[in-house]
Amino acid sequence: MEKSCTLVVHFDKGTPALANEIKEALEGNDVAAKIDALKKAIMLLLNGETIPQLFITIIRYVLPSEDHTVQKLLLLYLEIIDKTDSRGKVLPEMILICQNLRNNLQHPNEYIRGVTLRFLCRLNESEIIEPLIPSILSNLEHRHPFVRRNAVLAVMSVFKLPQGEQLLDSAPEIVDKFLSTEQDPSSKRNAFLMLFSCAQDRAINYLFSNIDRIIDWGEQLQMVVLELIRKVCRSNKGEKGKYIKIIIALLNAPSTAVIYECASTLVSLSSAPTAIRAAASTYCQLLLSQSDNNVKLIVLDRLNELKSSNRDIMVEMVMDVLRALSTPNLDIRRKTLDIALELITPRNIDEVVMMLKKEVVKTQSGEHEKNGEYRQMLVQAIHTCAIKFPEVASTVVHLLMDFLGDSNVASAMDVVVFVREIIETNPKLRISIITRLLDTFYQIRAARVCSCALWIIGEYCLSLSEVESGIATIKQCLDGTYATQSAALETAMSPPTLVQGSLSSIGNLRSLILSGDFFLGAVVACTLTKLVLRLEEVQTSKAEVNKATTQALLIIVSMLQLGQSSILPHPIDNDSYDRIVLCIRLLCNTGDEIRKIWLQSCRQSFVKMLADKQRRETEEIKAKAQISNAQPDDLIDFYHLKSRKGMSQLELEDEVQDDLKRATGEFTKDADDANKLNRILQLTGFSDPVYAEAYVTVHHYDIVLDVTVINRTKETLQNLCLELATMGDLKLVERPQNYTLAPESSKQIKANIKVSSTETGVIFGNIVYETSSNVLERTVIVLNDIHIDIMDYISPASCADVAFRTMWAEFEWENKVAVNTVLQDERDFLNHIIKSTNMKCLTPPSALEGDCGFLAANLYAKSVFGEDALVNVSIEKQADGKLSGYIRIRSKTQGIALSLGDKITLKQKGTA
Amino acid sequence: MVVLAASIVSKSGKVLVSRQFVDMTRIRIEGLLAAFPKLVGTGKQHTYVETENVRYVYQPIEALYLLLVTNKNSNILEDLETLRLLSKLEGSGGFKIDHMVPEYSYSLDEEGICKHAFELIFAFDEVIALGHKENVTVAQVKQYCEMESHEEKLHKLVLQSKINETKDVMKRKASEIDKSKIEKNRGDKGGFGPLQSMGSGRIENSFSDLSISSSGTGFGSGSGFGLTSDVDSFSTKPKGRPTSSATAPPKGLGMKLGKSQRTNQFLESLKAEGEVILEDVQPKLTQSRAAAAPLTDPITLTVEEKLNVTLKRDGGVSNFDVQGTLSLQILNQEDGHIQVQVQTGDNQAISFKTHPNMNKELFANEYILGLKDPNRPFPTGQASDAGGVGLLKWRMQSTDESMVPLTINCWPSSSGNETYVSIEYEASTMFDLRNVLISVPLPALREAPSVRQIDGEWRYDSRNSILEWSVLLIDNSNRSGSMEFVVPLADSSAFFPISVRFMATDTFSDLKVTNVIPLKGGNPPKFAQRTQLITDNYEVV
Repeated sequence: MEKSCTLVVHFDKGTPALANEIKEALEGNDVAAKIDALKKAIMLLLNGETIPQLFITIIRYVLPSEDHTVQKLLLLYLEIIDKTDSRGKVLPEMILICQNLRNNLQHPNEYIRGVTLRFLCRLNESEIIEPLIPSILSNLEHRHPFVRRNAVLAVMSVFKLPQGEQLLDSAPEIVDKFLSTEQDPSSKRNAFLMLFSCAQDRAINYLFSNIDRIIDWGEQLQMVVLELIRKVCRSNKGEKGKYIKIIIALLNAPSTAVIYECASTLVSLSSAPTAIRAAASTYCQLLLSQSDNNVKLIVLDRLNELKSSNRDIMVEMVMDVLRALSTPNLDIRRKTLDIALELITPRNIDEVVMMLKKEVVKTQSGEHEKNGEYRQMLVQAIHTCAIKFPEVASTVVHLLMDFLGDSNVASAMDVVVFVREIIETNPKLRISIITRLLDTFYQIRAARVCSCALWIIGEYCLSLSEVESGIATIKQCLDGTYATQSAALETAMSPPTLVQGSLSSIGNLRSLILSGDFFLGAVVACTLTKLVLRLEEVQTSKAEVNKATTQALLIIVSMLQLGQSSILPHPIDNDSYDRIVLCIRLLCNTGDEIRKIWLQSCRQSFVKMLADKQRRETEEIKAKAQISNAQPDDLIDFYHLKSRKGMSQLELEDEVQDDLKRATGEFTKDADDANKLNRILQLTGFSDPVYAEAYVTVHHYDIVLDVTVINRTKETLQNLCLELATMGDLKLVERPQNYTLAPESSKQIKANIKVSSTETGVIFGNIVYETSSNVLERTVIVLNDIHIDIMDYISPASCADVAFRTMWAEFEWENKVAVNTVLQDERDFLNHIIKSTNMKCLTPPSALEGDCGFLAANLYAKSVFGEDALVNVSIEKQADGKLSGYIRIRSKTQGIALSLGDKITLKQKGTA
Repeated sequence: MVVLAASIVSKSGKVLVSRQFVDMTRIRIEGLLAAFPKLVGTGKQHTYVETENVRYVYQPIEALYLLLVTNKNSNILEDLETLRLLSKLEGSGGFKIDHMVPEYSYSLDEEGICKHAFELIFAFDEVIALGHKENVTVAQVKQYCEMESHEEKLHKLVLQSKINETKDVMKRKASEIDKSKIEKNRGDKGGFGPLQSMGSGRIENSFSDLSISSSGTGFGSGSGFGLTSDVDSFSTKPKGRPTSSATAPPKGLGMKLGKSQRTNQFLESLKAEGEVILEDVQPKLTQSRAAAAPLTDPITLTVEEKLNVTLKRDGGVSNFDVQGTLSLQILNQEDGHIQVQVQTGDNQAISFKTHPNMNKELFANEYILGLKDPNRPFPTGQASDAGGVGLLKWRMQSTDESMVPLTINCWPSSSGNETYVSIEYEASTMFDLRNVLISVPLPALREAPSVRQIDGEWRYDSRNSILEWSVLLIDNSNRSGSMEFVVPLADSSAFFPISVRFMATDTFSDLKVTNVIPLKGGNPPKFAQRTQLITDNYEVV
């Protein structure tokens, strides 16, 4: 078992203190110097030095000191020194400190007593504690509560030692008595804690004999009571009934911490609807009453857990949850919306949407900087609602359409996408939406929103009047373009003023196009073409159709002219040019086949896309549902039979303990034994005098090297030392130690290495030793390098498309790797990269379908240190069947970009 | 509900201070803390991060983070409260620091934290105990860290006054010694010579340390003294409960070295330090040991008389009662067939009673104690109570003052703010009394009474507030003795009842065993005889 570490202090290596300097200062009479020296000694010890010669100096010169700080530091020193020898026996000299501790326990200064008692809590050596027990017990009766509360803790720690029951067999009884007379809330808490962990029956007895007063107890004590209740009920489910009342009583406690704890206790004890309801409403109250964002977020987490376990009850609470939207914090609002959206049902949908609408309206008035982002969130939420329950769409869509002209592009984009989907799925709403869209079209400011809106106009203006007003609206917005060529040129001559000054007054579309957005121009051309084609179907008067056709042609031609004029800094791009020319050709030469493509296939594609999206979502839900259920032929894990190293039966039953164990890192999953053998690295050659091999275990934040060293010679090797050095973000934790190795014997050496970021690290090392025949000369064997693989630190993760794009734009480090592989198939190559980098492909499989000779995909992973790794794969199949292209890696830190790049370069060939 | 660690790290990720409250390995805590700065995002409005296993709750303070590492089930409300308290502490300019090193203005940067790392750890300890939050305020933590104890100050004052007093006494005595040396020019063994010899070795050293140094280090040396003597006791009996063993050696040593009053006083002052030196167990010890000493002789006969006496404070006897027993203890079964021949003094006031199983006539006629049934042996073994089998009982009652072995005369007299108490004892010539201990109750005092004059030794038991006057032996050389002490003004009845303990090897009955007669023939077996007179309840009321 590795030693536990109780304190860490930053140690400045620049000014190392020398042991003899420290010794001198310790021996002197200057208290300040003594304190300083003692601090230095402690820091040296923490840094891995052992300085055993200081111990006697400290016993002789520091122990008798009367200064309080010296005494406290002395306790720290005693806390961290090794008190046992290599076999775990207490060192004989430790007996020397006993008297000092005993004097401290009887010191007239109550604080010295207290801190000494606290120190005893951290002491594991029963040999040292045993003679102190009477003094500890006598401190239970000390006048000062500070002493008493620490004395109780000391009693608890002593009793919890492996031999504790022999040392202090009457401890529960003593503490029980103590508890019945004690007044100090802290001492009371500690005493109850002691009974709770050492003599549960007595704790329960005490609880029930004081049941009327529980509400008046101190906050801390109430917390332990709740903990006790949880523990008792876990081991004995039948007892639940007795305790529920207590919990209900404590729900009215003045302390919010207690209330919170009550709620989580209720949840863990019972799945009865009333209990869950009580817990949920408690959480909701906390959510509203607590102003701290951390609390709100964590309470939301709890509510989220409740949601997944008891959805039907949480459904009733949805409005209460939604009240949290009043907080300005976006994270909280997002979480709240996420929870609420999963709780909507036909019954509450109206209320929820009403609330969301109100919030949307609020964002219009307030001048808060985050309003845009919040509005976007709300729009998305409403969108989700509307998809789940199409009937609500009618009530919101018009409101939302007010935001098409939102200065927040993302929000406006969301609105227009929403409108696009609703107009397709809700045919009833088509007419009103189109009318409204045509009315508000002039307000749209962003090119992307504009093009999307144009597409809607083009697709969904069906009746004669709609088509006509569609054409009119576009014409109006482009006002001026169809007049004369010179007018267009004239206005185009001063584009900057136009762009800036006319955003709101003149049609926005026009200024966008004048600023050189020819893609938008192409969209306008297509829309006009579509509208004219449709006009041909609905307009009986041929003359009207021709008129409209010529008008459209004029607009389109004007745009082409603009694109080719030299006034704009950039001429029209080829794609847009082709597209616009195609429109002209169509308008001049219409035909049924083409009309079919333009008027129907387009819409069909869109319907297909929506259906695909729907399908993906249902598939995801299905997949989720499947995960939670066990397969018929699955192995059943009996929780109680799982291997848990060194844990007692009691702890096995205790989930809370598990949580703690995980946190302190005591849990290590038993790895597959076969896997272990794969990780063995040979460090020296077979013919070297010392053979060494290492078995590397990679934990979360650390690497453990188990090095086996074998002496292959017939001589005894002295002062054999495994010296390691590291490159990258690795750090050795301990100093190497010296060993003596008998002829042909072996030794296991453990080395801990700390990892602080995801970077490929290298560990180098030497084995240094002396032989008995030649003591002065040290022999050095250089070890093989050990490479630490980045793959051990990253795990597949997923993130939203938008988030990926934002990160892609933000991250500073890019590593571009040219594709060089023998693989012939694009998808095979992508799969190979995914497999060898341990990343997740964000691009949906449907987007990767088909055979076009091109492939682009985004991969994403996260490291245990929370770093993001982004990869984009873009490949093209060459005529000769080979793949070419690039893999781009982006990350916030250089380490990931480089290491991942190396990894990909190494693996991409991929013959296997 | 457990805080795993409280730490301060710099924004660049350097761990400055961390205090762990549960067992975890160094590599674990360092790993957790190293991961933390990477997990903290920017622009968030909340201050906690959760990973798969732990939760960090933090608070940025200038270029630093103050953080708690907790498990994920931890109560966030409580943790935030803890964090708030810690940050207040940290920001409050340092608790002990300004008091200790006023020249340092405590800055909240890396350097400042490093400099005061240990003070911070002390403060962390006050706020979180074994991972649980303590119910404390900032002011309390400051108070705890400053460790200003009223009791300790008081204690030091007492100690100081004791030291001064001891020094005065020493000076006075030293000059007296000088005088007497000059006058008599001889070193009387009963005089004050032992002062020079008593402190051979360490007692001398520590004693002088104690008296020379001022309040600063004097106390520390005192505890050093305790240590050296205690190490011995540990090495001899490491399993012993040190409450008694730690105190006995210095006392015994002091007694051996010339019974000087000053040794006694010195021990008094040491004792007043705390409860290191508990009760003066000497007289009690000898008594109980005499009774409980293991029996080695095959046959032991014990004559014991217990004295119950109540004397009036104005003279006169209100109760005088002697109860005697003769008991027999036989180790081996084969020695059971015996008779015991006794001889009594000529005290007519005493009436003897034999055990019902005894042959009464045999005793009345020949003073031989034997069983009615000569074939039955006496019961054997040590398992029966230490007194063995009672053979004979006797009793004597009297109101005759001349029979009282020791009379006590106590005269409290008040003058001004003080009460002078003089006590004298007078012992009858009948007995030589050993281990005489006269316990005088005193009104509750803060300090030991000042003893002006004494024949014998005294000690003050501050716990029970009793002044104990002990005389090892009262024989013809000191049939009477006196003592005088001064206490603050007190009612005279406060000094009663005075209780007395002593023992003697003679008895009122003067009963002696002359012979043990074997009934089955053979040589008379060896036997041991013990005779003692002890006090059961001897009081002056």
